[in-house]
Amino acid sequence: MAIFAGKGGLGKTTCSAALAYAAAQTGRRVLCFSTDPQASLSDIFERDIFGKGEVEVVENLHVVEIDADAKINAYIKDVKLKIKEMYRMDEIPAEIEAYIDSSVAEPAMYESATYDAMADYVSGGGYNLYVFDMPPFGHGVRMLTMAEVLTSWVEKLTEVRKMAQEYDEVARKLRGEKLGKEDEILKELSDIRNKLTTFTDIMRDRRKSAFFMVMTPEMMSVYDTEKALEAFKAIGVSPAGIILNKIYPAEMADNPSPYIANKYRQQQSVLKVIREKFGDLVVAAIPMFPKEPKGLTGIKEVAKHLVDGVTAAW
Amino acid sequence: MAKKGFFSTLKRALSEVTYGAALHGQVSAVLKTRMYIEHMFILMILGDMLGFPILPPYYSLRLLPYAVPNVKAWKHRFYRERDFTDVVYG
Repeated sequence: MAIFAGKGGLGKTTCSAALAYAAAQTGRRVLCFSTDPQASLSDIFERDIFGKGEVEVVENLHVVEIDADAKINAYIKDVKLKIKEMYRMDEIPAEIEAYIDSSVAEPAMYESATYDAMADYVSGGGYNLYVFDMPPFGHGVRMLTMAEVLTSWVEKLTEVRKMAQEYDEVARKLRGEKLGKEDEILKELSDIRNKLTTFTDIMRDRRKSAFFMVMTPEMMSVYDTEKALEAFKAIGVSPAGIILNKIYPAEMADNPSPYIANKYRQQQSVLKVIREKFGDLVVAAIPMFPKEPKGLTGIKEVAKHLVDGVTAAW
Repeated sequence: MAKKGFFSTLKRALSEVTYGAALHGQVSAVLKTRMYIEHMFILMILGDMLGFPILPPYYSLRLLPYAVPNVKAWKHRFYRERDFTDVVYG
């Protein structure tokens, strides 16, 4: 599993697509999944893949741009249908229906639905590599801590449910009744737990997953990356590397326009700071392209720089 | 046939008397504890229905259908005013 994190607009989606493309070229079955609500995989691959599930863009490379709203709506519909079927109701009790409808509006639902889709794909298997383009908010740290919180919540619920079942058994025995059927809730909980733990186990295993931070040579990005690294450290995650994106070409130094030449010099001074602060963590340096790297040709170009690793340019 | 019916009725009556005298209190206590656990469980999944936001409701909704029959009693118990007799009688 490869996870790309960083602020918005630095090239996370482009890097994710490029790595996925490079891996697919080596014959691996790859899934590139954008968790970003402002996802732009459709834009990068110049194909409308939004909400269309797994789309194979080139051989071995499948991309997913999740339509979380549609997923939530379908999920809510399922929950309502299940209640109606379970209790043979024509109408769901008003307070329950109001609760379900209000929960859709919660901003956290969007994150949870995306997270669930990620966990679904990973626990479902079927790919050699999963590339996740993380949402920019909170550097995707929240997404990772969510796994921990959800797992412990599910553990606690299971514990409480088992306790309830034990009391059921005691009451049944005392009344001389037969053993009851297996608790449906425990089955659901074990389903959720299995899915989450398969996902978190892979995510926590350094041999199976790698976190990459994407940054650009600007001071703002330096501060932001420092903060993100601290946040990751706090939850016990160390990044596999930093990808430096949008590095200006050397010929800009001799540009007759003082504006352009100055931009170059300024970036060089920031690159010096990056070298001091992050040094060996930088695993790839991608140049600023004369035009946006789009389509398979653009992706191929970025992939080349990504795979080549740190070059003289850095 | 009538004899067998009489004995089985007697047997059932005796077992019901024994159950009532010796076990009913225990079963009630067990079921009461069971209710508390059930209510704690509902609080953990539907806490935000009462204003306790515990976790995003995504997975809670998956468990909600099973809690539907108990939601009313749970809310009732939570919203009920309490006085000193609750301390005495639980």
